[in-house]
Amino acid sequence: MNKLSLQYKTFVGCLLILMIALPWLITSSFALEILVRILLFAFIGTSWNLLGGYAKQLSLGHVAFFGLGAYTSTLMEINFGISPWIGMVVGGFVGMSASLPIGWLCFRLKGPYFTISTIATANVLMLIFLKFRDFAYGAEGTTIPNLGNAPLMMQFETKTPYYYIVLGLLVISLAITAWIERSRVGYYLIALGEDEDAAEASGVDVVKVKRNIYMLSAFLTGLAGTFYTQYIYFIDPQTAFSFNVSIEAALVSIVGGIGTLWGPVIGTVLLETTTALLQSYLGNSIGGIQLTVYSLILMAVILSRPTGIVGYFKEKFKDRA
Amino acid sequence: MFETILQAVINGLLIGGIYALVSIGVTLIFGVVKIVNFAQGEFVMIGMYLSYYLSTQFGIDPVVSILFSMPILFVVGVLIQHYLIRRVLGLNDLPQIFLTFALSLLIINLSLMFFAANYRTIHTWYSDEAFHFGGVYIPYAKLVSFVLAMVLSGVLWVFLKTTDLGKAMRAASQNRDVAQLMGINPNRVFAVALGIALALAGAAGSLLMPFYPAYPLVGQVFVLMAFVAVVLGTLGNVMGALVASLLMGVAESLGIQFIGADSGLIVVFVLLLATLALKPSGLAGGWRK
Amino acid sequence: MSDALVIKNLNKKFGGLHAVNDVSFTVRENETLALIGPNGAGKTTAFNLIMGFHKPDSGSIKALGHEISGLRPHEVCELGMARTFQVAKPFGGMTVLENVMTGAFLRQPNTNEAREVARESINFLGLSAKENFAARDLTTIDQRRLEMARALATQPKILLLDEVMAGLNPSEVDQAVALVKKLSSRGLTIVIVEHLMRAIMAVAKHMVVLDHGQKIAEGSPDEVIQNPEVVRAYLGSGYVKPQGETNGETNGETHHD
Repeated sequence: MNKLSLQYKTFVGCLLILMIALPWLITSSFALEILVRILLFAFIGTSWNLLGGYAKQLSLGHVAFFGLGAYTSTLMEINFGISPWIGMVVGGFVGMSASLPIGWLCFRLKGPYFTISTIATANVLMLIFLKFRDFAYGAEGTTIPNLGNAPLMMQFETKTPYYYIVLGLLVISLAITAWIERSRVGYYLIALGEDEDAAEASGVDVVKVKRNIYMLSAFLTGLAGTFYTQYIYFIDPQTAFSFNVSIEAALVSIVGGIGTLWGPVIGTVLLETTTALLQSYLGNSIGGIQLTVYSLILMAVILSRPTGIVGYFKEKFKDRA
Repeated sequence: MFETILQAVINGLLIGGIYALVSIGVTLIFGVVKIVNFAQGEFVMIGMYLSYYLSTQFGIDPVVSILFSMPILFVVGVLIQHYLIRRVLGLNDLPQIFLTFALSLLIINLSLMFFAANYRTIHTWYSDEAFHFGGVYIPYAKLVSFVLAMVLSGVLWVFLKTTDLGKAMRAASQNRDVAQLMGINPNRVFAVALGIALALAGAAGSLLMPFYPAYPLVGQVFVLMAFVAVVLGTLGNVMGALVASLLMGVAESLGIQFIGADSGLIVVFVLLLATLALKPSGLAGGWRK
Repeated sequence: MSDALVIKNLNKKFGGLHAVNDVSFTVRENETLALIGPNGAGKTTAFNLIMGFHKPDSGSIKALGHEISGLRPHEVCELGMARTFQVAKPFGGMTVLENVMTGAFLRQPNTNEAREVARESINFLGLSAKENFAARDLTTIDQRRLEMARALATQPKILLLDEVMAGLNPSEVDQAVALVKKLSSRGLTIVIVEHLMRAIMAVAKHMVVLDHGQKIAEGSPDEVIQNPEVVRAYLGSGYVKPQGETNGETNGETHHD
């Protein structure tokens, strides 16, 4: 057991060093862009995985927190000149607070109906931000004023700093997930994901655990929203509350291995590189091709290996042991 | 004022009939097969495109085309049950939710690839005609759709109540294990349930064509309505879905009339959230999953 | 010895069905009480009410001195009561050890300590060899053992066992009986729902009989099996002998239609 642990730790350590060194090794700006996208969605996926993977509460409305985080930091920056670094954290807290009423509503239904109600709440938020012009720019959204190189305002001239920020976010979320996995919370999450009644009978305060993990997941997702907005210098309700974000968060976790530490990372690498390849072969001309491929991959995974890529290897490994 | 309200109510009922067809399908599948068909709206869309092509290529009236769309979609439903759904039965929520969700994504995006995002409409001789009673205006197209929707719902109701297969479906919906012990073949029952549900969706699509445009994402609007109606009418309850759909049609219509043109969706969401907050088990107060 | 569990006038209706109808009984500390009755009598519903899975319509449930009716199951568990389910509910994706650790975490927040407590519990139930098996791969009987191990890991004072012996062969029943006795010797108060008469006779001195939601008899096993109401409930009125005659020896199992 310990040998495996050492091997594993060394591997992770090397991977981390590689990831830190990567921007120095890669010259293509395009490649860096793809990497940033991978890291971002791996981060969002890992955050989703806490609630959706371990606790099996399949939210398809996580973009609600993404969007709230995005708008919070943007409004704070444009209206009050507050740095997005602060705005990001505040945005996380806004997302976290939103998860309380949203959770209260949505957890009243179980299974697929929970999922639908999460979709509905995210949609309502988009509609609100679309309709109400006065406090948040309405349907046209706004651009973030370009300040050139302004590290204190989370703006940089090259892609590299953004890479490091999102890498940092991913590392944080992975570290949190790894810690949770080994601790009481992790066991409680998996237990309630498997059987809520049995979990309750074993002393698990299911309501509290769900609520807390939802808050954590929402907080992290909110951070992602701020990052993305700062990265593309633009925000509008369609982007900030885009259903595709919710889908991808869940998708990468399922394909990569739901309820596992590395699942979302692996899933993101697979899906995003597939997309990038498709885009370079087919260009963006055929609308719908990306999601067609995604949905085919998803169906293939569901029908053959519902535990995802990591789950598949875990089972293979267990059989041998 | 009364006339305005009456008009809004009538408009709401008329479209509510279509919502009913879609939501009955969802609730039927949920009740019998115990899965949620996220792709239900996409079959409405397929029904619409089918009718569109039958109309533009062969001149077949959309309403008549349900004679084609329903059987075709019934077969599609049986195939989906056999090849896809059967593989994830007995697994937990995750595969079941994401399978139909993936199916929905697939169908939408294939449609985007093949049909592009353009709106397609059909203009029939009765598309602009309407009855006028007093100050109230009832479009032929919508009236025909509503009547047929109610007829189909009624036929389904009779089927469920009186025929052996219908009873088998109700039995399987209430207690799958006992039903199996009674000799009911669940896969056959599920296939019929899927077939009927998709046929109803296809009918909804065909009936919509005279007055509604077809485009790849059109199903999303209807499936959302359907889900809210299913929850509101109590999961698995066909009559509940019907009544809830009509109610929602009226609510949406009143919202559009008195609050604003784009408030329809908000009204629906508010209804859903209110149901969740106050009575999650729906109007018929049945069971939660 | 004090009262561990006091049920007073417990009532629960589901629609038109009066599942639990004015039921009262008391279980003393370290006692093993058998709760019996024909199928559908309301025994599992009573357990669900006691553990907090349903709220009673009226009545009181006092466990270890605390009024617990209306509490959520995890709160009841925290107070010191645990249950097994009639149909075992393991956390399928977890191993045996992880399953039991989930229970152990109630009292041991630290992972390593929880693991120790879990191992003890697993050992007690004889599952040590299968510690790393996935729970969903276990045999039915082992899943029952797992249920018990997990419940024990929460270090309860009162244990509710719901038909743990159903479907076991005679030697397995003996093992199960020995287990229950061992648990009782550790100081646990046990309420056991069972159909197997000889098992009940072996572990319980105190019995409560439910039929159609109502308590129809209470007493020692000998008293209860001779009670005409009990005979009527299980076998039908044709078998009720007039008062004064005994019903003779019972066999190992009761049969009911």
